Amino acid sequence: MEFAEPENWARIRREAEEFVAEHVTRDVIENERRTGDGVDRALTRKLGERGWIASGWPIAEGGAGLDPFEAAALWDALRKGGVPTAGPGTTMLPANAIRATGSAELKARILPGVAAGETLICLGYTEPAGGSDVFACATRSQRDGAEWIVNGQKIFTTFAHIADYCFLLTRSQPGSAGPRGLTMFLVPLDSPGVEIQAVHTMGHERTNIVFYNDVRVADANRVGEAHGGFAVMRAALEAEQNVAPGSRTAWVAKDALEFARTHRGPDGAELINDALVRERLARMAMEGEVAELLDLRVAFLDAEGDKPGPVSALFGPESYVRASAATIDIAGTAGMLDWTDPQSAVDGSLDAHYRSAVATTIYGGSSEVLRSLIVENRLGFPRSRPRR
Amino acid sequence: MDLSLTREQRAVRETFAALFGKQATPARVRRAESTGFDQLLWRHYADVGALGIGVPSDCGGGEGGLLELALVAEEAGGHLAPIPVAETAAGARLLGRLGEKELLGPILRGSVIVSLATHPGPVSQQMLVDGAIADAVLALDGESVVYVTRPNGLPKTARRNLGGLPLAPWYAPGATTVLAEGDGARTAFDAAVDEVRVLRAAALIGLASAAVGIGSRYAIVREAFGQPIGMYQAVAHPFADAVTALDGAQLLVRKACWAMDSAHDDAPALAAMAFVFAAETAYHATTHSLHVHGGYGFMEEYDIQLYYRRAKAWAAAFADPRRELLTVADRRFGPVTTGGR
Repeated sequence: MEFAEPENWARIRREAEEFVAEHVTRDVIENERRTGDGVDRALTRKLGERGWIASGWPIAEGGAGLDPFEAAALWDALRKGGVPTAGPGTTMLPANAIRATGSAELKARILPGVAAGETLICLGYTEPAGGSDVFACATRSQRDGAEWIVNGQKIFTTFAHIADYCFLLTRSQPGSAGPRGLTMFLVPLDSPGVEIQAVHTMGHERTNIVFYNDVRVADANRVGEAHGGFAVMRAALEAEQNVAPGSRTAWVAKDALEFARTHRGPDGAELINDALVRERLARMAMEGEVAELLDLRVAFLDAEGDKPGPVSALFGPESYVRASAATIDIAGTAGMLDWTDPQSAVDGSLDAHYRSAVATTIYGGSSEVLRSLIVENRLGFPRSRPRR
Repeated sequence: MDLSLTREQRAVRETFAALFGKQATPARVRRAESTGFDQLLWRHYADVGALGIGVPSDCGGGEGGLLELALVAEEAGGHLAPIPVAETAAGARLLGRLGEKELLGPILRGSVIVSLATHPGPVSQQMLVDGAIADAVLALDGESVVYVTRPNGLPKTARRNLGGLPLAPWYAPGATTVLAEGDGARTAFDAAVDEVRVLRAAALIGLASAAVGIGSRYAIVREAFGQPIGMYQAVAHPFADAVTALDGAQLLVRKACWAMDSAHDDAPALAAMAFVFAAETAYHATTHSLHVHGGYGFMEEYDIQLYYRRAKAWAAAFADPRRELLTVADRRFGPVTTGGR
C-alpha cells in the first residue's frame, strides 16, 4: 500500500492553481455567489482549451488523457479555487453516457463541443412527483416521422437556463410503468415549447423547473434505443453513484479550524484552547480524512474497473452536514453572517457550508436510496422498494 | 498511490484466517472467557511465526511492517481470538528497535509473553490488559523504557470482566531493568503505543465486520409480520452505515500503518483517528447486529453477545474514545497553549 501522492498529482494541482490565479478573479467568485448559476461560460471554454472538461478522455477526443486520480486532483483544485464546477461536471454524466451508448452521428456532433467547453448539458430526470424514484417518469414522448413530440415537466434542472441541451428522460410507450418503455433524448433547450422557470434555493444555488409543451425533437437526438432508455439511464446513474463526489467535509473542517484559531468564546477564552471545541474540530478532521479516503478508493477502484457501491456518496455528504452544523454551533452569530457582511468570518463560508450541505445528501441519490443499494449490493439484503 | 495488498500480504491474511477459523471457534472463545487466554491457540500462533512478523530480521523476525500486523489483528478480531495480539506485537517491535536480541529469542518462540503497559503512571498502579498472562511488561518510567517482570508467585488469574480480557493488576511488580533512556526512549515508547492504537483499531474492525455478517444474515432469514425483517428499512439501513464506516475505518487503519512505517509527520494523528473511528464504528455496528436478534441477542447461547461486549471492552481497555479525540486535536492542531476549558 502506498498513500503518498505521486508527483504527477502535485503537478496537475499546481497547473490548476496557476489557472485559478490567472482566471478566477474575485469578480468570478462573487458573480457565482450572486447568481448560483454553477457555471461560467467563458471560464468553461478556457478549461476546454486545456482538455480539462473531459479530462479523462484521450487527447485525440479533446480530453487530457488523465486517469481517475489525476482527474479527481484536477477538479478538486479547480473547485477549491472557486471555479464553478456544477455545470461542466454535470455535463460529463450525459456526455459519458452518449459516448457509451449514442449513435456515431450523435457522438461526432455533440462530444467535441463538450470537450471544448462549448456545449453544456443539464440533467432532465427528476419530476415534481418523482423525486428519488426517477423511473416514475411521466413526461411523454411520441414518435412523429423523423421527430418526436415531447410533453411534460421536469424539476431541479440545474443550469437549464444556460445549458445547450437537456438529457431528457421520457416515457415513450403509453401505459408502460417503471423502467420499461422509456426513451432518452438530447433536447436542444432553444426548441420552441421549452419554458424555463427559475427556482432559488437556500444554498444560493439557482435551479429550474422546465416545461416541455409539444416540443419537437429530431430522432437523431435520441440517445440509445427507442423504449430502451433504461439502459442509458442506468449507465448514467451508475456513473453518478460511483463518481468521486469530492467530499467537502475536510473543507468545512479547515474553515472551522481557522475560525477557532481567530475567535474567542462567550467566556473570553480562545476557542482553539477549549476542549469542547477541540473535540468537535478533531471529529470533523477525522471524518474529513475518512471521506477523502473513501473518495480516493472510488477513483482507485474506477481505475481497476471495480465498483465499491455508493459508500463514499453516503458518507461524504452526511459527514459534511454534521461538520457544517457543528461549525455553526461553535461559531454562533459570527458564523451565520452572510459573506456580503463586512463582519462575516472566514469570508462567510460557515453560513454557506450549512446552507449548501443538506442538498448534497439528496442530489445524486438520497441517503435512504443509497443505504438500500449498499445493503443489497454488499450484504445481500432483499430489495425493500416495491418492484413494478 | 496504491491501495491494494501485495500477494504476500494477502497470504498473511489467508494464513491467519485459516488458523483462527480452526483454533478460535466460538466454543474455544467461550471456554477462554474466564481466563482471557487460550494456551493451545497461543502455541499455534507462535508456531506459524506470528510473533516475529513485525520484528527486524537481525533480531530473528520477519521484517514485516505494521500493515502485516494489522492484517493479523483484523483476522484475530474477526474470530475474537483469546490471545494478546496488539500489545505483544507492538512490544516485540519496540524490543527490536532497541536491539534487544536476547530478550526477543524466547518471546518470538512464544514461551515468554511480553506486553505493554500503555497507560500513564507506574506499572503498579495500572490495570494491565495482559496482566493475568504476561511474563513481563514494557513501560515508560519517567524518560526511561523499562522491562518489568511479573510479580513472583502471582497466580495467572484474570479479573472477571466485560470483554473476556486477561486483565490483572501487578501491585508489587518484579524486577525492573532500564532498556533505554532519554528522548529517544520516549519517542520509541510513544511509537509503540501508537502501534497499539492502530492494531486495536484493526482488531475492532475485524470484530465488527464479523458481527455485521452475523447480524445481517440473521436479518435476512428471520421473518416478522410475514416477511424477512431485512426488508424493513429501519432494520436494514443501519447495516449500510456499518458497512460504510467499516470501509472508512479500514482505509484509515491502512493509511495509519503506511504513515507510521514511513515516519510521516501526520502518523501520530492518523493513529489516534484510526483508534477513535474504529472504536465508535465497532460499537455502533455490534449494537445494531445484536439488536436485530431481538431477545435472542441477549441470550448467552447466541454468539453476537460475545462481539457486542468485546467491541466496547477492547476499545475502553485502551482509552476513552472521546478523550482520544483530544489526542487527535493535540496532534493535528498543536497542544492547548493558554488556559482553555
